Amino acid sequence: MSELKEAAQEIVDFARDAGADDAVAEVFDHRTHQIRYSNSRIDASNWWSLKHAHLFVAIGKRTLSTDLLDLASAKASVEALVQGARVTPENSAYTGIASGKFKYRRGKADPKIVAMRSPTKHVHDAISAAVREGATEVGGTLFVRHMRAGIASSGGALAEDESSALELSVRAFSQPEASGHALCCTHKLSGMDARGTGSRAGQMAFLAKDPVQGDVGKMDLILEPMFLGELMHSTSHMMSAFYVEVGMSMFAKRVGKKVASEEVTLVDDPTMPSTSQRAFDHEGVPTKRTVMIDRGVLKTYLHDTSTAKRFKTKTTGNAGPYVPIGFDPPAAPLPIHPVLEPGDLSVEEMIADTKNGLYLNNTWYTRYQSYSRGDFSTIPRDAILKIEDGRIVGAVKSIRVSDNMLTLWKNIDAVSKSTEEVFWWDEVAPPSTLPSVRVKGMNITRSS
Amino acid sequence: MIDEDLVESVLDAAMSQGRPLLAEVRAEATESRNVAVKSGVASSIVSSMDAGMNVRIVLPTGIGFASSNGMSKAVGVELSKRAYMLAKNVRLKHPAEMSQEQPVRTSWEVRQDKALADITIEDQVDFLKGIDATVTKTKVKVEGRYFEIRTSETSGSFANSDGSRISSYLPRVRVDSSLVVTSKGESEQSMREFGGTGGWELVESWNLEKALADEVRMLKTVIDKGKMVKPGKYDLVCGPEVAGIAAHESCGHPMEADRILGREMSQAGKSFVTPEMINFRVGSEYATVVDDPTIPGSYGYYAYDQEGVRARPRYLYKEGLMNEFLTNRETAATLGCQSNASSRSENYLREPIVRMANTHVAPGDFEDDEIFGSVKEGVLMHSFTEWNIDDKRYNQKYVSREAYFIEDGELGGPAKRCALEITTPGFWGAVDAVSKHVKHNAAECGKGDPAQSMAVFTGGPMMRLRGVALK
Repeated sequence: MSELKEAAQEIVDFARDAGADDAVAEVFDHRTHQIRYSNSRIDASNWWSLKHAHLFVAIGKRTLSTDLLDLASAKASVEALVQGARVTPENSAYTGIASGKFKYRRGKADPKIVAMRSPTKHVHDAISAAVREGATEVGGTLFVRHMRAGIASSGGALAEDESSALELSVRAFSQPEASGHALCCTHKLSGMDARGTGSRAGQMAFLAKDPVQGDVGKMDLILEPMFLGELMHSTSHMMSAFYVEVGMSMFAKRVGKKVASEEVTLVDDPTMPSTSQRAFDHEGVPTKRTVMIDRGVLKTYLHDTSTAKRFKTKTTGNAGPYVPIGFDPPAAPLPIHPVLEPGDLSVEEMIADTKNGLYLNNTWYTRYQSYSRGDFSTIPRDAILKIEDGRIVGAVKSIRVSDNMLTLWKNIDAVSKSTEEVFWWDEVAPPSTLPSVRVKGMNITRSS
Repeated sequence: MIDEDLVESVLDAAMSQGRPLLAEVRAEATESRNVAVKSGVASSIVSSMDAGMNVRIVLPTGIGFASSNGMSKAVGVELSKRAYMLAKNVRLKHPAEMSQEQPVRTSWEVRQDKALADITIEDQVDFLKGIDATVTKTKVKVEGRYFEIRTSETSGSFANSDGSRISSYLPRVRVDSSLVVTSKGESEQSMREFGGTGGWELVESWNLEKALADEVRMLKTVIDKGKMVKPGKYDLVCGPEVAGIAAHESCGHPMEADRILGREMSQAGKSFVTPEMINFRVGSEYATVVDDPTIPGSYGYYAYDQEGVRARPRYLYKEGLMNEFLTNRETAATLGCQSNASSRSENYLREPIVRMANTHVAPGDFEDDEIFGSVKEGVLMHSFTEWNIDDKRYNQKYVSREAYFIEDGELGGPAKRCALEITTPGFWGAVDAVSKHVKHNAAECGKGDPAQSMAVFTGGPMMRLRGVALK
């Protein structure tokens, strides 16, 4: 048995010996190197190492979780946690953890990424390429990640997983109000194209030059994968049974109903090679490809074992961490790698087929007045290009998309055949594989 | 408590790596608890201990930062070597600089009247269940009910090569609520956050059962009786929550020096503000916004920032003029000034960057009722749900959660989803009256990459804007 799996099993054994009925332990060993750069120069080089374990225990319906940071004294901490669980109030909605004989497909990290010592060359390549396209200022990040995890549970889970990632983000400015953004997210060093990514950001910045005030009213929008990835953050979270249960999902009570156009088939696929490929979810269930929307029809929410029992269905292998991470709540099913199936048009054909619209590079700050209705607005940033009679004719600025998210998904009438893996900051997350799409008649507003 | 001898020995190791311009060591230990009640049931309980340290080394060639959840001499030495190598490999063309700051030897702590550690998990679950029961008893149909308590107690020890040695203790507590009310086939949502630094006495002072029962009744009234605003120009009275979000988003953020200098250009963005805009008019003479980390009990409280600089109030906009940027030692060196102690990080794993603390509109001379008493036709926007702002911090939008029509100086019926979409000078330039009474709200501000969530207050008094477009 390898090291992390063994450590997880040992923690579960400690918990069981102390009296826990159910226990899930997941041991993480993550190393991250980050280069931050702005104004076309590197600002800082950061490195993090975090080896820890999430532990969930249940005694009957009394549950308690912890983040074990000191694995050397795990036995005492686990015993204290189980003692603590004895006096916690009952969670009447708790229905047990997954159990069975599980089969896993263990992931593998690219040894070339693991062995990287000085990734600054990729940053310099990206900056130079963007500058060659006309950028005057270039900024961004490069992450080099090596992630290992082992899991064990009293329900029979026992597995180990490993992955690696390179994530390059390049934002280029050609003028103070003209910028372009491009990403390269890859699980293999051979997939890193720093020059191409820098060039793309530089080209978008060049196209975005001399923007004029945008018009308001209904417009057709062509959304790049990065823009769509930002919308995917809230869309895919609202697929979680947790958000359905707390009334914060536009998909509530809509399983089996049309929630998007027929062009839309949306899956969560943690099994495909990507930066977020995972062999198991956080309760040890092997991950699988889950079709959430099939040709516009909502097929299922994302589940863990507990939510699946309440919804009278099976887990989709999307159990989230037992310990809260970032803005996500603890013990909530979460999307891992959303994929929007490609269509059959090129982006150029989509532009050529658009009479009056906007081509949008990126967006941020998507906020909802009502998650249950889907009323939202989002602020396009970077290149906002005006399309007239099938041609890009200039750049605009200072607009906002203010509409309804269900309407947006229903109004998609074209999907590109090319797709791209995108993951950027806290906005375009989780990592997703997405095409460009065209959305008909979305409402554009701006400051008065 | 942190072993200060350990921190000292790690600093020795960091300073022995070449000849750093600056070496810093920060060690932290945090005990945290998180209790959630969903639809009346204790849905998640988490209790954790975290401890770790970081080393930051500044060389003429660049800045290196290394962190780990270990807390030992061996870990510290390894982090020192790594931070040095990282700083060396940056290979800056222009030497890195940090502002010169006075070394400090001190310790500070926030005291608790009712220690968080004495409030059991069972007490916390019962407390949230009590809120849930009160909300349920209102007879309002609340389809979504989710409540969370997060408590943390963080001990810290900081040492740098300038001679600063600071130890600290900071207890913090926060309660979140998420409520979705339905009536007549329509729904409205509310996501509230209450927070402060101190003990359980803060939670008791928030009177949450009443506040959240009132909240669901208000949402039902908005659904049942609210009317949309006919698009046009009106006088707008912003309640403290709306004044506070505007202070945070269109004053605090654009006045962060790292944005102004471009260091956040690819994530949180830049700013419409440029370094030479000190004394530039952005608002009326009534527009004064302060960021003050030293407000006792505030959610964003600290006595010294994470570079060891003593905290003080910062007047960002003063009587409508841009007055002072938020700076850390790196940005202060570039701007040729002293740091004003705005350097914060989420925890020991992350590099400290420029952050707000408690940002609020400064009080004026009016009573609250005088603010809307002279409004002939307008809207009082008490609170908001949807909001956003562009990455230059120039175009913003706030949509009301609770709002009322004002006619001839009297409050009328509820206005539904009233939207203000306006530029930053448009907003602050329209202010013509500010009340005496400042109220604060807790919030988590997101910035940095990886994103660092930061405890802050937003706030302000009632504030009147003349002739702005509403829809």
